[in-house]
Amino acid sequence: MGNEVLARAARAAGATAMYGYPITPGSEVLLWWAKEAGSEKGKKEGMVFVQAEDEIGASFMLLGSVMAGRRSFTVTAGPGNVLMQDAFSMCEAMRIPIVAYINQRGGPSTSTVIYSQSEVTLTAFGGNGNGYRIVYAPSNLQELYDYGIKAFNTAWKYRFPTFLLADGYQAKMMGEVEIYDPHARGIEMVDTERYLLEEKRDRPIDQVVPKPEVHIRLQDGVEYSCYRNCLNLEEETLQVNMEIKEAWDKVAYEIEEHESYGPGQAETLIIASGIVGAAAKQACDQLGGKARLFRPITLRPFPAEALKAAIKGAKRLIVPESAIAQLSRLVKEILYGVTDAPMIEYHRPSIGINVDEIVDLVNRHHV
Amino acid sequence: MSETLAKLAFPKCVRIESKPHLFCPGCGHPEVLKAFGFAVDELGLQRQVAFGVDIGCSLLAFDFFNIDTIETHHGRTVPVMVGIKRGNPQAISVAYVGDGGAYAIGMGSLLNAAIRDENILTIVVNNAVYAMTGGQEAPTTLPGTKTATTPYGADNHFVKGPDLIRHLNPTAWIARGITTRQLGLRKLMKEALEFVKEGKGFAFLEVLSPCTLNWGTIEDPHATFDILENKMASVYKLGHF
Amino acid sequence: MQETFKIVICGEGGQGVQSIAKIIAQAAFDQGKKAVYVPYFSTEKRGGVTEAFAQIGDFVPAYPKFAKADLWVVLSQRAIDRIYEYLKDDTKVIVNSYLVKDLSRIARWKPVEIDAGRIAKEEFKKPRVFNMVMMGAMLKRIPGLDKDKFEAALDHVFASKYAKDPSLKELNKKAFDKGYELA
Repeated sequence: MGNEVLARAARAAGATAMYGYPITPGSEVLLWWAKEAGSEKGKKEGMVFVQAEDEIGASFMLLGSVMAGRRSFTVTAGPGNVLMQDAFSMCEAMRIPIVAYINQRGGPSTSTVIYSQSEVTLTAFGGNGNGYRIVYAPSNLQELYDYGIKAFNTAWKYRFPTFLLADGYQAKMMGEVEIYDPHARGIEMVDTERYLLEEKRDRPIDQVVPKPEVHIRLQDGVEYSCYRNCLNLEEETLQVNMEIKEAWDKVAYEIEEHESYGPGQAETLIIASGIVGAAAKQACDQLGGKARLFRPITLRPFPAEALKAAIKGAKRLIVPESAIAQLSRLVKEILYGVTDAPMIEYHRPSIGINVDEIVDLVNRHHV
Repeated sequence: MSETLAKLAFPKCVRIESKPHLFCPGCGHPEVLKAFGFAVDELGLQRQVAFGVDIGCSLLAFDFFNIDTIETHHGRTVPVMVGIKRGNPQAISVAYVGDGGAYAIGMGSLLNAAIRDENILTIVVNNAVYAMTGGQEAPTTLPGTKTATTPYGADNHFVKGPDLIRHLNPTAWIARGITTRQLGLRKLMKEALEFVKEGKGFAFLEVLSPCTLNWGTIEDPHATFDILENKMASVYKLGHF
Repeated sequence: MQETFKIVICGEGGQGVQSIAKIIAQAAFDQGKKAVYVPYFSTEKRGGVTEAFAQIGDFVPAYPKFAKADLWVVLSQRAIDRIYEYLKDDTKVIVNSYLVKDLSRIARWKPVEIDAGRIAKEEFKKPRVFNMVMMGAMLKRIPGLDKDKFEAALDHVFASKYAKDPSLKELNKKAFDKGYELA
């Protein structure tokens, strides 16, 4: 099932530590990892699994473990995602490459335990920062695996907290997946780096961590690395934010991913992500050329230029999502001033959207 | 540089540029940090220690040492240092927090780290008040004490940390010291660091410490010592647990 | 384009709704079919409502859920209302008549009534195998799945359980065959 796929992806990516707290629909990842870490093989490899006291503990342990240079991750959902924003903010401020798999469930509050797309805003823009987090939105089991691995490389290469934003349907789904060793496919895992107690750096750490937050001290030929997030002056916090923005702007285009599906001349453009994107894809097949799909694979950075190119020739845009305006908000921000085409938003907060619903939606608006 | 330090009777791992320190006159933190530094020197651990500070007055310790340091969010120092130790088993992981970070917002993480016998040293500087934010009530504020949020006097409940930790963890190293016994404090720091260095599990050191600013005794050292050594030390027992 | 065969099952938490669907999907996959399964439930282990969706066919559907089912199975009374919306004109209906007494709302689908609970208790002396009885009845209505191959797949799925208690294998097979026969 999806959660097992996620656990295997992390393992295949070379992660050796997981810190988490049980929460539906992600707990199976903890179970798989606990078993693996406690096995003979796991123990020999020094694998780590900690079931923390709560998500706050888990997320800060994760932060510490990553700063210690270990490829580490967590899994959470809903209220757990809310609690972890404290740690995620610190990671955002200090360029700490944690990886978190988020299995969206109903919201707000406890809600239902299985499914929604209501954690887009939270995952992309949560905490008290400006949304400098990388967010992948997989749409099927294979993408859970592929991007489950990729998340680690993206995180460590670019040094932004990186999220895999899935949902409980994908997590609990059973189906075919190809499990592979990344090395066998020529995928090399990016080296990790210790923020604390590193013997030898490839480059000064203040080229990663915003300069006002890091202080390198030299004594008797030894470098000591000291990190803080409490700042004294407005100039310091301005500099921190601008350094993060500049680092992001330099690489956003490399990180962006999307999928376009369906005939280029189709007049209706569906914009959908995650599992709703999968349903939309199937709907396009059934609609015989009336519609095509733009599916952002990264929600942050959102593939803006690709979207602007995709809307050319579209008579209308349809945005179905299992939330209220969380995806459409991201879309509107990019399309402001770019298109006159009407946007039809289809909001089904915390409820699945079937292929037939999307087909009906397109047919109803097709002129 | 090291000669200067030797002349000034500061630990070698101290950053001389951080003098004069940023704490209030009469604050206990410099005493605690000095004791810690001497212990680090004696055991030769300067390059192995990962030093975590909380938000609150403990964050002013950021400048103090030439030691790899991380300032965390409030109440989150213990789990971060747990993560650092789990991530790098060679690290000597130390969490340096105040009474709020330990016994209020950080209590859940602290107790669970003790329950799991995590191999880290937690140092709690107990001045019975939330100092940096202006002197609000703390979990260790004694009954009747007037603070910013207990203008009519604090209630009768307070937290005896070392007893609590001992109740949860029978094998942890636990002690309480006081800033006015510097040599004794250095000894405790050394024991605590050795304990975690040898992988023996959870180490917990609470240190009774004055806050002259919020106690209103910044002009009156006698009053400071009366509160610290008489009032507090009679309730919060010194020694090993 | 071709369609997949769509199955929906609903019951109370603890009745084994998810197990049934998972096993069918796994068994279909073992037989070389494409299969997808996804659950829906409220509280995770017990006490809430639980629904399972499975699709079997020659291609992998992009989306695991669907609007209307080809095979519709209820294990408890309130499950009828819970998944009523998935019925279409030609949906095949099977009910666990042990708990599902009032069939008035679904009478026109001519439900196949399997007294699985009683059969499990009285004939097999093991209430838990009631979902094997249901599964046997269901298999009769799923096109393209071979009974013998299905039983082989069951052996695969329950391998570790059978290793601990070999009598379970025989018991499950009998319960399964009974359900198949009755359907």
